Amino acid sequence: MKTLTDLKKIREKAQEEMKLRGNNVRIKVVVGMGTSGIAMGAREVMKAFLEEIANRNLTDVLVTQTGEKGLSSMEPIVDVIDEANQKVTYGNMTPDKVKKVVVEHIVNGRIVSDYVVATGN
Amino acid sequence: MQDISLHLLDIIENSARAEAKKIKIRIILNTSDNLLRLIIEDDGCGMDAETLDRAQNPFYTSKENREKKVGLGIPLFKQNAEQTNGSFNITSEPGFGTVLTVDFALDHIDRMPLGNLKDTLLGSIVGHPEVDFYICLRNKDRGREQSFHFDTAAIKEELGDIPLTYPDVIEYIDQSLTEGIQNTNMEDV
Repeated sequence: MKTLTDLKKIREKAQEEMKLRGNNVRIKVVVGMGTSGIAMGAREVMKAFLEEIANRNLTDVLVTQTGEKGLSSMEPIVDVIDEANQKVTYGNMTPDKVKKVVVEHIVNGRIVSDYVVATGN
Repeated sequence: MQDISLHLLDIIENSARAEAKKIKIRIILNTSDNLLRLIIEDDGCGMDAETLDRAQNPFYTSKENREKKVGLGIPLFKQNAEQTNGSFNITSEPGFGTVLTVDFALDHIDRMPLGNLKDTLLGSIVGHPEVDFYICLRNKDRGREQSFHFDTAAIKEELGDIPLTYPDVIEYIDQSLTEGIQNTNMEDV
């Protein structure tokens, strides 16, 4: 059974890490979770991001959910936003494409242009 | 939507967009009464009677200034419950919040499965760090009752400034929910 004591250990570990590398968020990921996004598999896309972050121990990436943004024909939609607030929007996402975006874009800094549907800030 | 947990995710997104600070989700499985009940309660902006009425109509959406003019989330959930001998009820009060109660007849042959409840809850909790979630799962079968309670406010307090997307925290929440769902036998409803 998981207890709050386990959380205390996680907090101590995280605080040690933050002392070393600072508390900054390098990349923000926003998954569109409107009705059509959900129907097209956005929940599995969200889950894939969380799994990749946990497996690769990415401590400077934040993932959030938002409502849909009017690109319904390309759902599931994901925004990847960097520190300079540059936004890349990926469309028709799947868990497999998420893995590629995490490795290529988030870890190695190379945009996966095949999946991009919009860019801007 | 193929299952109830996807509808639940859609409803949680509605609550988040209504700027809820707290969302309470109760799922009650009662075999003796042949009932699967979901109660989703938020303290968001709420709706007046007219908006509430329109929310149940497929050609209404609160998302204005855009091309999309349909809102299928609530009408589809309502239809899926009512077509299988269930019921669907929303009450709302502007400024106080919204309560949604959905009942399903457990043994109805066309009832949707509950589906992947864990991924719905995990994504919502981590994806909306600004919202506190209180989750209660309860399984009643004749005399026996198992329940699971999960309160993210307590977790956030313990974590301080550590984000919910911190890798070990994701795993912690994932495992806690998995255990809770297993202990209340809700993996395969």
